[in-house]
Amino acid sequence: MGVIDLDGLEVRLGNRTVLNGLTGTMQGHAIGLLGPNGAGKSTLINTLLGFHLPSRGSARVFGLDAHHDRAQIRGAIGYMPENDSFIGNMSGVRFVRYMAELAGLPAQEALERAHEALFCVGLGEVRYRKVSTYSLGMKQLIKLAQALAHGPRLLILDEPTNGLDPIARQRMIQLIKDIRKEGSVRLLISSHLLRDIDETCDEVLILKDGRIASLCNIEEERRSNRSFIELETVGATEHFSVSIRGLGCECACFPGGRIKLVIPEHVETRDLYTIASEQGVQIRRMNLRRDSLEDIFLRAMDSETGRAANVNS
Amino acid sequence: MSIHKHDYRAYTGKVTPVWTRVLVLARYGYAEAWSSKITVGIFVFSLLPCIVTLFGIYLANNPMARALLGNGGPRGLAIDARFFLSVLQVQCWLALVLASWVAPRLITYDLADNAMPILLSHPISRFGYVLGKFIALFASLSFVTWIPILILFVYEGYASPLPWAGANLSVAGGLFVGALIWIAFLSILGLALSSWVKWRIVATGIIFAAVFVPAGVGGIMSAVLRTKWGFLLNIPYMMTTLWGRLLGVSILVHPDRSLPTSAIAVMLILACFLCLAMLNARIRAREVVRG
Repeated sequence: MGVIDLDGLEVRLGNRTVLNGLTGTMQGHAIGLLGPNGAGKSTLINTLLGFHLPSRGSARVFGLDAHHDRAQIRGAIGYMPENDSFIGNMSGVRFVRYMAELAGLPAQEALERAHEALFCVGLGEVRYRKVSTYSLGMKQLIKLAQALAHGPRLLILDEPTNGLDPIARQRMIQLIKDIRKEGSVRLLISSHLLRDIDETCDEVLILKDGRIASLCNIEEERRSNRSFIELETVGATEHFSVSIRGLGCECACFPGGRIKLVIPEHVETRDLYTIASEQGVQIRRMNLRRDSLEDIFLRAMDSETGRAANVNS
Repeated sequence: MSIHKHDYRAYTGKVTPVWTRVLVLARYGYAEAWSSKITVGIFVFSLLPCIVTLFGIYLANNPMARALLGNGGPRGLAIDARFFLSVLQVQCWLALVLASWVAPRLITYDLADNAMPILLSHPISRFGYVLGKFIALFASLSFVTWIPILILFVYEGYASPLPWAGANLSVAGGLFVGALIWIAFLSILGLALSSWVKWRIVATGIIFAAVFVPAGVGGIMSAVLRTKWGFLLNIPYMMTTLWGRLLGVSILVHPDRSLPTSAIAVMLILACFLCLAMLNARIRAREVVRG
């Protein structure tokens, strides 16, 4: 059982099919939800929360059906919506306490957790101010505080860095990392900012036009592509390339001492330096190209036909 | 963990039963309603007629007071079903004032700041949300309607030298049911209209208008078409008729304008269904996409 299981999930809003046959299992500790605008990210989140009824297929959260067991699921979820969503007339601590009580905490515990959550997100000093007086960054943080206060098993963050300046964004990312490190909360983070997902998630679901374009473990994906290296050398390049072929590397030589090679798993970059040293070849530059999330994303966006190959079900 | 430790920690304590979440909404709604000084002001103003009535009952039942005031005093004041019907009418119209102020406070704050996605992402249904707000408003209106009226009834039973209360229990029942019907109707009407208006003051005006404008339209219809059925749009007329029947008091000046109780009941039920449809359309976590 994964954190989120999708089985042929189709969601129609009006006459439009917004999610079209999503199938896959997400098991990561922090799952990134990527996709261009209108790809269906928010609709998927709303479906997981039980706001939208699937027209076909099903979505399960911790093994519970997103529609039939929505009350149980909502009790286990903390949700930070994308847009402004708060009660401006309440003070910060009262608002978070209210939400914690709605999630099922007794009044006294809810008050204590509200204070804790506000300090945790950095709003401790302004917790008695009315929410309507908060800045945009503070409003983002109080949405996070209310989502955290009741100690959810799954935290759903919809565009958590929306509208934040670079410092506030960095703080939000650090908070998310800290929460992830604590270990008791799984995260589902929706964003169109690759960098946010790159920094916080270990698994990514990429949506395109309501379909899954890619579902992969980011680390594994990087590992499978990490061995591509570009070298600039001075000296007996031909002889050097023959030697490194002997290690099992695929190698191509270019004028000016440039070599491109793909090294197998058992070969380390240190081995290249050793051979170069033995043969009196100078390695002037080594460019170790790692597959970035951007590469994964762009590949997923390009591959209409290769979609199924990227989906781990 | 004390609050000086700023790291996140999981919650491992007990959780309240799901059904009590409605009461959380009701409690917070109630607190929000009474956090306004104007609410307290309307409440105090609404109790003034009760205090006057209490004094009247005292005078009517106190021989010394009657003697002091002479024959022209409240000696002739009969404490009966008609007397309590007047009290019920006054209190119920004051309840309309209170409802028109309180109902928008319960809903418009949530809608104005788009709090519905967060509220409904918790284990609370849309029905539970409306029920919680309904309880808060219903409880607030109870304090100016059936509670003070029944206290007056009990006081009359206590002050009367005759075994008055036992002989007039049906009046107490009528007062209770009549007030309950009215405040339940007002609560659902107030919530429904408030859910469609972002500005509280406008919502207050619309609640008043929803009660009195159809009454005018109904009156015109009845006059033009020479029919009594236009009065089915006249909520004050319908309610006065209903209260009179519940208390066993005839109040009609023109018997040909008498509306059947069943027609009044159907009209109120239809109005409630319309209000529920309005709430169903507005109380959502997400906008409904059509087309």
